[in-house]
Amino acid sequence: MKIETLKTIVGLQSLPEDVMGRIRLIKFADSNHVLGQMAYHAVNTESKALSDIFENAKLRASHDHTMLTFEMNRVERAFSGLQTPIVVLKGGAYVATGGRAGLGRRVSDLDILVQHSDLSVVEQQLSKFGWMPDAETDNEYDQQYYRQHMHELPPLRHRTRGTVIDVHHALLPKTARFRIDAELMFTQALSISGANLKVFSPIDQFIHSAVHAYADGALDTPARTLVEQYFLYSDLKTEDMDALIQRAKEVGAAMPVALALWLIGHVFELLAAEQHSKQLKGGWRYYLLKHAILVKLEAGWAAAFGKAYLYVRSHYLRMPLYLLLPHLIRKAIQWRPGSNVPTDLPFPQ
Amino acid sequence: MHVKIRDLESADINSALKKGTFTLKLGPFEHLIKGPSRYLLPHLKGIYRDCDAALHPIDVTEITLRLKAPNFIRSFVRPQISPDPGFQVPAVPLPASMAPLGFEMGLNLSVALKTCRFVTVHAGVVAKDGAAIVMSAASGGGKSTLSAALHSKGYALFSDEFALIDLQTAEVKSYPRPISLKQNSIPIARELLGADRISPVISGTPKGDIAYARVNQESLCSPVTSASVKLILFPNFQTGAQSMARRLNPAEAIMRLVAASTNYSLLGEPAYQAMVSIVKGARTFEITYGTTEQSVRLVEELVGEVSS
Repeated sequence: MKIETLKTIVGLQSLPEDVMGRIRLIKFADSNHVLGQMAYHAVNTESKALSDIFENAKLRASHDHTMLTFEMNRVERAFSGLQTPIVVLKGGAYVATGGRAGLGRRVSDLDILVQHSDLSVVEQQLSKFGWMPDAETDNEYDQQYYRQHMHELPPLRHRTRGTVIDVHHALLPKTARFRIDAELMFTQALSISGANLKVFSPIDQFIHSAVHAYADGALDTPARTLVEQYFLYSDLKTEDMDALIQRAKEVGAAMPVALALWLIGHVFELLAAEQHSKQLKGGWRYYLLKHAILVKLEAGWAAAFGKAYLYVRSHYLRMPLYLLLPHLIRKAIQWRPGSNVPTDLPFPQ
Repeated sequence: MHVKIRDLESADINSALKKGTFTLKLGPFEHLIKGPSRYLLPHLKGIYRDCDAALHPIDVTEITLRLKAPNFIRSFVRPQISPDPGFQVPAVPLPASMAPLGFEMGLNLSVALKTCRFVTVHAGVVAKDGAAIVMSAASGGGKSTLSAALHSKGYALFSDEFALIDLQTAEVKSYPRPISLKQNSIPIARELLGADRISPVISGTPKGDIAYARVNQESLCSPVTSASVKLILFPNFQTGAQSMARRLNPAEAIMRLVAASTNYSLLGEPAYQAMVSIVKGARTFEITYGTTEQSVRLVEELVGEVSS
C-alpha cells in the first residue's frame, strides 16, 4: 500500500489521472472495505463511471447502517426498564453519533460494552430476545475459555435475523499485558440523543480505536484502521486534541494512543498529531514497533518481517505463554477438517 | 474508443485479455476482463461479435472479472479456471475449456451481488415499442426458451438473466447478454434463431449441456436503452400442459418478484417502492404451457389485451 492511496481515499489528495491507476485504487479500496468511505470523501470524482461505483458503495453501506440502527433499537427494547447501562462501541458508535468515521463505513455486527457485574443479566435478556451462541462456539470449552480469559462473550447470533452481536465486558482480554481502565471510560460515556444507549466521548472513542489496533491485534486491517482513526482524530475539537494524551495516560493507554497519533500524523501529514505523539518517549521496543508497522504498511520486501513481528507481539500481548500453548494444542486436537464445529471435549477442571 | 468485437484483431484481444485491460461495454455496465484467451477469444469473437469493446479501459469499470486458475498447479496440469469478480464467491473451479461458462457465471455473480443502483430480479426481459415484458421463473422454468422465442418474433432482447430496475424511474434497463441455453432448449433455439447464432455446445458442465445464443444487432445497437414494464409473467413450463394464464393480484406479484431478486433485502425501501411502481404499471400473470408455440401465442394474446 502506498501512503498516497490512503490520502486519496480520505480526500486529502485527488485521484490519479491515469485510468489503470484509478482502477487499482478502486480495487484496493473495495478489497480493504473502505470504498464506502472513499465514496463520501474522495475529491475530483466527476466521471459518470466513478459516480456509479460510488453509488453502489454508498447503497451498500447504507444497508449496513439500517441493519445496525435496527439492531440497536432491538437491544434497547430488550433492556427497557432495566438498570443496565450499555455502551455501543466502534462502528455502531460512529454511525449513531453521525461522525465522519461512520459515513460510508461498512459494519457487519454490533459491539456493545456492559459492566462485568451486569453480564449474567445481559446474557439472560439477550437470550430471551432471540440471540444465541453460534454452533462454532457453543461448546463447554469455548464458552468457559471466553469467560475466563477474554474480554467478550462468544458472538451471539439472532435466531431469525441472523445478525451478530458482540458483548464486551472489558476492552482487552483479562490476560492482556495492557491494563486499560474501561471502568473510567464507561462511567463517563455519553447518552445517544433519543436513545437509552450510550457511546464513549469522542476522545475515548479514539482511545478505544487505538487500543484495539495497537494493544490487541496485529493491525490486520491497516487501511480500515488508519482511515477510521484519521476521521476520529480530525473530528475532535482542538482542546480535545490537546487533552488526548493526558486522558490516554489516565486510562492506561498512552502507548497505543501515541502510536496511533504518530502513524496518522505520518500518513496523513497531521502535524498536531505527530507533535502530540512525541509527548510519549518510548524505549527501543517502541521504535522497533514503529518500523514493523511501517514495513508492513508499505508491503515491500521487508513486509514479512513486520508482519511476523506484529503477529508474535499480538499473541504476547493477549496472553502469557503458559495459557496460550495449552489452548493452541487443544484447538489443534479439536480441529475437524472441513468443519467449523470443533470436537467437543470436556473443560479441564 | 469502443469498437465492435468483430472489427478487433484477435491478437490484440488476446494480449488485452492477458493483461486484463479488455473492456466490454454492454447495457449500463463496462466490464473489465482478464482471462485465458485461448478459450475466451472464440466465445467473444462468436457470441459477442457485435458488442462494443475496447482494448484499454476508458474509465473505471463497475464490473471487474478475472478468470484464473484456482491454484498454481491448475495452470498447467489439467488446467482449471474459477471466476473472481473481486469478492469471495462460492464458485466451483471448472476445466479451462469451460471458460465461456465461467465467464458468463462470473458476470452474473458480479451483477447479482455487486450492483446496488438497480434492483436486480432474476428474469428474462424483452421489449417492443417501448413496452417491456418481464418473465421471472426458477431455473428450468422455460424463461430462456421463451425469451429466445419472443426475440425471434421481433422483440428486442433486454436480458436473459436479469431485469435491472432503475431505482428512480422504475424502468427496466437493456442489458443484452447472450441467451443461455440448457439441454433441451438448445435444439429449440437453433430452430428459432438459426444455427449460426448458437455457440458450440459445452457438454458435461455441472449444469448439463450449455450453449449460448447471440443477440441480434438491433437489440445491441438500439438507441432505446430502457422501457417501462407492461407485462410481468411467471412462466411455468410443464410437458403436455394446456396453455393457461392466471391473473395475479399485485401483492402476489410483488412477493414473487421479491423472492426472485438478488439485492432486494440489501436495498430495502427503495427496492420496494420500485417494485410497487412496476407492478402498478403492468398486468401480472402466471402462465402455464406445454410447448414453445403455445407460450408465444399466449404471450401475444396477453400483449394484445394490454395494449387494447
